[in-house]
Amino acid sequence: MGSLPILTLMTFLPLAGALLVMLIHSATGGGGKSGKLVLATGILVSAATFAVSVAAFMAFDPDVAGYQLVEQHAWYGPISYKLGIDGLSLSLVVLTTFLTPICLLASWNSVGKRMTEYVIAFLVLETFMIGVFVALDLVLFYVFFEAGLIPMFLIVGIWGGKDRVYAAFKFFLYTLIGSLLMLVAMVYMILAAGSADVEVLETYSFAPGVQTWLWLAFAASFAVKLPMWPVHTWLPDAHVQAPTAGSVILAGVLLKMGGYGFLRFSLPMFPDASALFQPFMFGLAVVAIVYTSLVAWRQTDMKKLIAYSSVAHMGFVTLGIFAFNETGIQGAVFQMLSHGLISGALFLIVGVVYDRMHTREIAAYGGLVNRMPVYASFFMLFTMANVGLPGTSGFVGEILTMVGGFQAATWAAAGAALGVIFSAVYMLTLYRRTVFGEITNPGLNAIRDMNFVEWICIAPLAVLTLLFGIAPNLIFNLTDGSTARILSMMARGQ
Amino acid sequence: MLPDSFLIYIVLAPGLAALTGLFHKWIGDRVVMAITTGVVMSAGALSLYQLFAYVAGLAGGAAPEHHAGFDAYLTAGTDVAAVELKQHIITLMPWIHVGDFQANWAIRVDTLSIVMMAVITGVSGLVHLYSWGYMSEDPHKARFFSYLSLFTFMMLMLVVADNFIQLFFGWEGVGLASYLLIGFWYTKKAPNDASIKAFVTNRVGDFGLALGIMAVFFVFRSVEFGPVLEAIRTNAVVTPMAFAEALPAREAVIVFFGERVYALELIGVLLFIGAMGKSAQFFLHVWLPDAMEGPTPVSALIHAATMVTAGVYLVCLLSPIYEYTFYASGMVALVGAVTALYAATVGMAQNDIKRVIAYSTCSQLGYMFFAAGIGAYEAAMFHLFTHAFFKALLFLGAGSVIHGMHHEQDMRRMGGLAKFMPLTYAAMMIGTIAIIGLGIPHTKLGFSGFFSKDAVLESSFAGAMAGVSFAEVAFWFGLLAAFLTSFYSWRLIYMTFHGPAPHAAHDHHGADDHAHPDDHGHDPAHTPHESPAVMLIPLALLSLGAMFAGVYFYDAFVDGQNEAFWAGAIYRDAANHVLHDRHDVPEWVLWAPLVVTVGGFLIATFTYFFNRGVGARVAASGGPLHALFSNKWYFDEIYQVTLVRGSAFLGNIFWRADKKIIDGLGPDGMAKLAGLSSRGLSRMHSGYLYHYAFVIIGAAIVFGAVLWLRSGGAN
Repeated sequence: MGSLPILTLMTFLPLAGALLVMLIHSATGGGGKSGKLVLATGILVSAATFAVSVAAFMAFDPDVAGYQLVEQHAWYGPISYKLGIDGLSLSLVVLTTFLTPICLLASWNSVGKRMTEYVIAFLVLETFMIGVFVALDLVLFYVFFEAGLIPMFLIVGIWGGKDRVYAAFKFFLYTLIGSLLMLVAMVYMILAAGSADVEVLETYSFAPGVQTWLWLAFAASFAVKLPMWPVHTWLPDAHVQAPTAGSVILAGVLLKMGGYGFLRFSLPMFPDASALFQPFMFGLAVVAIVYTSLVAWRQTDMKKLIAYSSVAHMGFVTLGIFAFNETGIQGAVFQMLSHGLISGALFLIVGVVYDRMHTREIAAYGGLVNRMPVYASFFMLFTMANVGLPGTSGFVGEILTMVGGFQAATWAAAGAALGVIFSAVYMLTLYRRTVFGEITNPGLNAIRDMNFVEWICIAPLAVLTLLFGIAPNLIFNLTDGSTARILSMMARGQ
Repeated sequence: MLPDSFLIYIVLAPGLAALTGLFHKWIGDRVVMAITTGVVMSAGALSLYQLFAYVAGLAGGAAPEHHAGFDAYLTAGTDVAAVELKQHIITLMPWIHVGDFQANWAIRVDTLSIVMMAVITGVSGLVHLYSWGYMSEDPHKARFFSYLSLFTFMMLMLVVADNFIQLFFGWEGVGLASYLLIGFWYTKKAPNDASIKAFVTNRVGDFGLALGIMAVFFVFRSVEFGPVLEAIRTNAVVTPMAFAEALPAREAVIVFFGERVYALELIGVLLFIGAMGKSAQFFLHVWLPDAMEGPTPVSALIHAATMVTAGVYLVCLLSPIYEYTFYASGMVALVGAVTALYAATVGMAQNDIKRVIAYSTCSQLGYMFFAAGIGAYEAAMFHLFTHAFFKALLFLGAGSVIHGMHHEQDMRRMGGLAKFMPLTYAAMMIGTIAIIGLGIPHTKLGFSGFFSKDAVLESSFAGAMAGVSFAEVAFWFGLLAAFLTSFYSWRLIYMTFHGPAPHAAHDHHGADDHAHPDDHGHDPAHTPHESPAVMLIPLALLSLGAMFAGVYFYDAFVDGQNEAFWAGAIYRDAANHVLHDRHDVPEWVLWAPLVVTVGGFLIATFTYFFNRGVGARVAASGGPLHALFSNKWYFDEIYQVTLVRGSAFLGNIFWRADKKIIDGLGPDGMAKLAGLSSRGLSRMHSGYLYHYAFVIIGAAIVFGAVLWLRSGGAN
C-alpha cells in the first residue's frame, strides 16, 4: 500500500533482467566472451533483487500479524493481482533471492553451452519462485507455482546429464497429476467463496466433508513438491541429472513450495481436514525419514545420496507442520530455511569435485583431504550440519519439529528420532569414502583445492548455517507472528 | 569464588583458542600450540583454584572470607529440602526461544559444575602440555591442538549448561571432537572405522537422550534445569501438554506409544540411554575400545577422564529425577553393575596395553553408575573425580610406554621396561595402586581410588541392607570386579615393565603410529627410552592427584561436610540414607575389597611375575571362557550381523522398492501404458514440455470459461 510497489518490483526485477540479458546477447552477437558478460549481468540483477528483498525485510514489521506491503489490483472478476508478505513468506523470499545469485555465480566455470538461455532460465525461475511466496491470490499463486516448473524443466533438460529426459519426464508426470487436482479444487473454492483472495478464503469455512476433498487435492500437489514418500522418486533422478546450480535451487527453494503450500493453504483453509489427516501425514513423515535415510546410505552416487537425504529432512518439515503447535510449525519453517542453506551447500560441494573429475561416483574419490584441506573443512561443516549437530542450523529445525511432534504423537517423534541415527550413518560414510583415506584414484593426484569463486559461493552459506545455529531467534522473531496466525485459524476449525 | 569474567574466560576461551587452528598456515603450528595450551592451562589453574578455595572455605567452617564470598555469590534457591540449592547462573545470550521452549546460552555455577570444570580443564591442560612431546613428530600438530581445545570447550559447555538443550549441544559437541580425534590419522582405515563407530553408537544413545528431553518438555513445559528440577524437588503440580490431568510432578503420567507410564520413569530411562552411549555402558560400550585408535593423549583426556564421565554427571545432575524413580534408577544400578563386571572380564584377556586400560575405564564407569543408581550420587561423583586423575595418569603412562617403545602397543612384545623408563614405571605404579583402591580401612592411608571405590562399595552394601533394588547385585559384582581389576592391572605392569625385554624384534605394528614411521630420529637399535620432561611433568602432577585427591577431598565429597559441599547441587530424598549408612555396614564389608585386591595381586604376581608364561599358557589352553573374554563376548560380531547388515539389507530392499514398486506402478508404469519406451521418450525429447505448457494454458482457459459462465449466470 506504500507508494512504492516493492513486492512487484522484487518479483519482476529478475524478469526484466532476463530481457536485458536477451538484449545484451543480440547486441554482442552471442559469441566469444559474451557468455561471461551475460552471466555477470545475471548475477548483478539477482544481487539487485536480493537488495530489494532486503529493503522489503527492512520495511516489514515483525510485530504486526497478518500480511504487509500488500498490493492489490482488480484483475478479472473474483481474481485480483494481490501480493503481500508475512514472516513465513518473507523468510522464504529472502532465501530465494539469497540463493539465486550464488547459483549463478557457481555456474561461472561449470556451464559451457548456451549461457544466455541458461541465465534467462534462472532469472525467469527466480521471478516465479518469488511470485509463489508473495502471491495472495489463488489464481496468481497457481500461475507462479506451475509456471516455475518450466524453467526448471529446461534447466534439467538442456544443461543436465545424460538421462535428463527420463528425469524430467518423471518430474513432469508427478507434478502434472498434482497440479490438475489442485486446479480443480481451486476452481471449486473460487466458485464457492466468490473470491480468489487468500485473505478472504482464510476466513471462509468450508464444510468438513468438502474440506477433506479439497485438502486431498491440494496435498496431491504439495506432497509431490515437498516431496513426501511415496511420491519422492522424481527427486533423486532430477537432482542427479540437474546441473549443480539447478540442484541448489531445486533443493533450496522449489521443495519449500510444498511446505509453504501446506502452511499457507491446507492448514488455515481446511483445518478440520488437516486434523483428520494428521496421523496419516505423521505416518508418511516417519516412513520418509526412516526409509529414505536407509536408501541414502546405500547410494553410490553422491548427488543421489544427498537427494535422498533431502527427502528425509523434508520428513521433519511434515512432522513439524502437522504437529499443529507453535514449536512444531516454527521448527518446520526453520527446518525449511536451514535445509535450503545446508542442502544447497552440499550440492555445491559435490559440484566442486564434479567440475574437476566429471563423476559423482563415490568410489571414484577418497583421500581428498590430502589435496583439498579447505574443501575438506567446508565439507565437514556441512556434513555435521546435515546430521543436525547442535550449533548448526540443522539441529534447531530437527529438535523443534520433534519436540512439536512429540506433543501430538510420541510414536511419530520416536520414529523421526531414528533418522537422527541414520543421518549420521550415511553422511559420515559418504564423508569418509570421499574425503578421508589415502588417494587411490591416480586421477586425484593433481586435483586442486577450492578456487576463489567456489569459496565465495560456499562461505556465505557456512556463515549463515552457523549463525542461525547459534542465534536462531533471528528467524523466530520473524516467523512467530505468522505461526500464531496460522494456529489461530486452525483453532477456528476445531 | 571467581568473578563472572573469569568464569566466562574458563568456558569460552578454549573455544576461541581452538579457532586459531584455522589460521595455522599463517601463524604457524607453534603459535597455535602455545595459544591453546596457554589458554587451557590458565583455565585449569583458575578452575582448580576455585575448587580448592571452595573446599578450604568449607574446611575452615568459620573461614568467613571464602564462605561468605560463596554465599554472597551464589543465589539461594527455594528448596524445601534441608539443604538449599546454591547456584549462580550467568546468561550469555538467548538461544532458542519458541513459546515455552526457552533455552539460553548460559554458565551455571554450582558445586557439580565447579568440580567438573576443575577436572576438565585440569586434565586437559596437562594433556595439552603432554602432547607437545607425544605429538612432536606429527605433521598436523595445529589441527590436533585445535581439536583438543574444541573438545575442552564443548565439554565445559556441557557441564555449565542451565538447560537440556545447551547440555545436548555440549553432549554432541564432545561427540564431534571425539569423532575428529579418534579419526585423527585420517588416511588409515582403522581410525576411520572407529571414529564412525563411536559417533554412530553415541547417536543411538542420543536418540534416547533427545526423546528424554522431549518428554521433559512435554511434562514440565520447560527445558531449563531450574524449573524442571524445582518442580520435582517440591513435588509441584504439573500439567503435561495435550492432556489436562494435573498431578504432582513425582506422580505425573505420560502416554507413550499408547501406554500410560510414570513420566519420571520414562524420562529417567530415556535420558539414561543417552548416558549409556556417552559413557560406554553395557550394550552401547562397543565404541570405546575401538576409540583407542586415536592418539593416546586423546584417550587419556576424552576416553578416560572427561567425556565418558558425562553420563555419570548427567545422572547426578538429574538426581531429583532418579531419586523418585524405581525402574529407571534400578536400570542405572543394574547396567552399571553388569558393565563393571563385564568390562573387567574382557580387560583380563586383552594384550593391547591401551585396550586393557579402555576396558578398565568402562568397568570403573560401571562403578560410578551403580553408585548413582542406588542413590549414592556423591560417591559416584567422588569416584568420577579420583578416577579422572589415576586413569588419565595410566593412559598418559601408557602413552609414554608406547612413545618409548616406538609405537608398540602389544604387551606381549614388551617387558623389562622398568629399567629403561624408571619414571614412567613409577607413575604407572602409582596409577595402578590408585585404581585397585589399595588402602587400610579405618585409616586415612590409601591412594585416591581407595577412598572413592570403598565409598561406592560400602554404600551399595548399605543400599542392599535398606532394600534398594539391585544394590546387592551391585555390591557383589563390584567386589568381583575389584578382584579382576587388581588382577589385570598388575598383569599390565608385569607384562610391560618386568621380565625379559624382547624389544629387538620391533616392527611398526601398533595403530598408534606417529605419522612419520621411519623418520624418527632415534637410535637405530630402537632401544626403549624414557620420555622427555614435557611428558613427564604431567605424569608427575597427575600422580599427585592419584595419590592425594582421595584423602584430601574425602570429607567434602562423601563424608562429614558433604551437605555443605554439594550445597543442593545433588539432591537426595529425606529417606535416602545410603551414603550415611555405609558407616554402619559390617566390619567384613570394609575389609572385603582389600582382601580381593590383594588376592588379585597375588594371582597376577604368581602367573605373570614369578612364573612368566603361565598366563600365556592359560590363555592358550584357555578354552571357551578365554575365547569369550578375549573376543569381548562377541558383541561386535553380533551387532555386525544383526544391526549393521540388517539395516543395509533394509536399505537395499527399500531402494529396490523405489525403483520397482513406486516407479513401476507410477511414472514408469504410466509410460508403459502409454506405449512409450525409454527410447521413445528420448525421441520426443522435450515434447512433454509442450504438454505441460498446454496444461497450464488449458487450465487458464478452463478458469476463464468457468468464471465467464458464472458471471454470465449471475447476471
